[in-house]
Amino acid sequence: MASRPTVTIIGKDGTPSGATHTMPSVFSAPIRPDIVQQVHTGMAKNKRQPYAVSEKAGHQTSAESWGTGRAVARIPRVSGGGTHRAGQAAFGNMCRSGRMFAPTKIWRKWHIKINQGQKRFATASALAASAVTPLLLARGHQVSAVPEVPLVIDSAIFENGAVAKTSAAFAVLNAAGAGVDVEKAKKSKKLRAGKGKMRGRRHRQRRGPLVIYDPVVDGRELVKGFRNLPGCETCDVYALNLLQLAPGGHLGRFIVWTSAAFKALDSIYGTTTKPSDLKKDFLLPSNVVSQADLGRLINSSEIQSVLNAPKGSALTKRAGVQKKNPLVNKQVMLRLNPYHSTFVKDKVGQQKAEPGKPKPTPASFLEVVHED
Amino acid sequence: MSTVSADLVWEIVRNNNSYLVKRNTGGGVQFSRDPLNLTNKHSRKHAGFVNEKAIGVVANEKGGVKVVSKKNNHYSKPSATTETVFHGGKTARKTYKAVANQAAKSGYRPDLREAAVQRVSAIRKSQREPKPTPERKPRGNKAKKVVDEE
Repeated sequence: MASRPTVTIIGKDGTPSGATHTMPSVFSAPIRPDIVQQVHTGMAKNKRQPYAVSEKAGHQTSAESWGTGRAVARIPRVSGGGTHRAGQAAFGNMCRSGRMFAPTKIWRKWHIKINQGQKRFATASALAASAVTPLLLARGHQVSAVPEVPLVIDSAIFENGAVAKTSAAFAVLNAAGAGVDVEKAKKSKKLRAGKGKMRGRRHRQRRGPLVIYDPVVDGRELVKGFRNLPGCETCDVYALNLLQLAPGGHLGRFIVWTSAAFKALDSIYGTTTKPSDLKKDFLLPSNVVSQADLGRLINSSEIQSVLNAPKGSALTKRAGVQKKNPLVNKQVMLRLNPYHSTFVKDKVGQQKAEPGKPKPTPASFLEVVHED
Repeated sequence: MSTVSADLVWEIVRNNNSYLVKRNTGGGVQFSRDPLNLTNKHSRKHAGFVNEKAIGVVANEKGGVKVVSKKNNHYSKPSATTETVFHGGKTARKTYKAVANQAAKSGYRPDLREAAVQRVSAIRKSQREPKPTPERKPRGNKAKKVVDEE
């Protein structure tokens, strides 16, 4: 790596401010969808609230089995008389008004512990993926108007609560080419299918850009500006959340950085030479394979020099090909039957039998045949 | 560093991505909605949004076709990656030739040339006004009625 790539910092009106910043090392972390997905599944479970059916459900009756000999099943039956309920089966999960099978308990294992190392790996991986344009496109973000990925906006724009209003916040995103993605999220709002509608999950919509800021420099007023933009989320750079960085476990969230937050990344995650300031015992994960471009690997001199030369000439008889029918394929016929060309040329196949009666057998021949 | 190889990206997105259309019918066909995909098939060769260099042909609203292409030197600059060329009003052969030249000569995969030309042809065909269906000739009893009226 000769020189580390730099990122342009976008100023007002979406034009480059002139300043650049070197790419923080966390963007070279390995992109591992398997780890991100596993950590995401665990983390997504950590906001759940316990639920269960009532402890007493299905057991509020004094049913007893009638035993054998009454020509009915031995399931417990409701005692007494004078009502339709008497004599009906009870308790079993197959019974009407019985308890459910394996009643749910509030002491189910609701939350999942995830190792801190894995969580940090997944976050670094999700950040690295957010700088890869094809992955943003594959997640469905509209980034064709964005000047550069990762998109870094000058913190000067956010100074003194300048973006505390939604109109100002949208203007900032729009100038940087991110307005299309907000618009897409806004238009995508649909009524949810199913019962989730009555359980506080009435609508479903796409995620838009994620704005990551540094509260020390940018302040927290911008949160209020962005929070009413549909699909748009904000996040403190010191408290990044994988559920926002890789929603659904899918890599490649479109992230809008403030320049202060972008600068803070190197101190939060450390570089290849400097350990992290804030995370104890954390080293950025490194790639196992440094060159993942298969074309370049195959065509590299190291590989090409140890390869055997291709066997055979340009015209090689291929083994194991489909058998050709010699009656249809002339070339195959000629290979099998060298006489075939003469046979065709002289039209032997088309010749008619000689006309007239067959010649009588010579008497001398018959004599020999019949001789004792 | 930030230029992650297309091979790695393909392994990440091949199972699911926003362009992919999966259907259980037709033996589980997989299509792609990617504008940089010439055949609309979900495959490594045709996945234009993954590959470093890619070419796509889309219909132009005012007739003709639009050629969208992606260059690999603007990897992290999405707004600079596509250039657009219009081919409207020309004869079909001229359009084919222009598209074929762009697909094969300027360093894109040469084996995409045929697909590019086929796509241009299909788009042009869809833009043509359909021929009016000829009026049905009366036959049988209807024909007899017509003769009787005259």
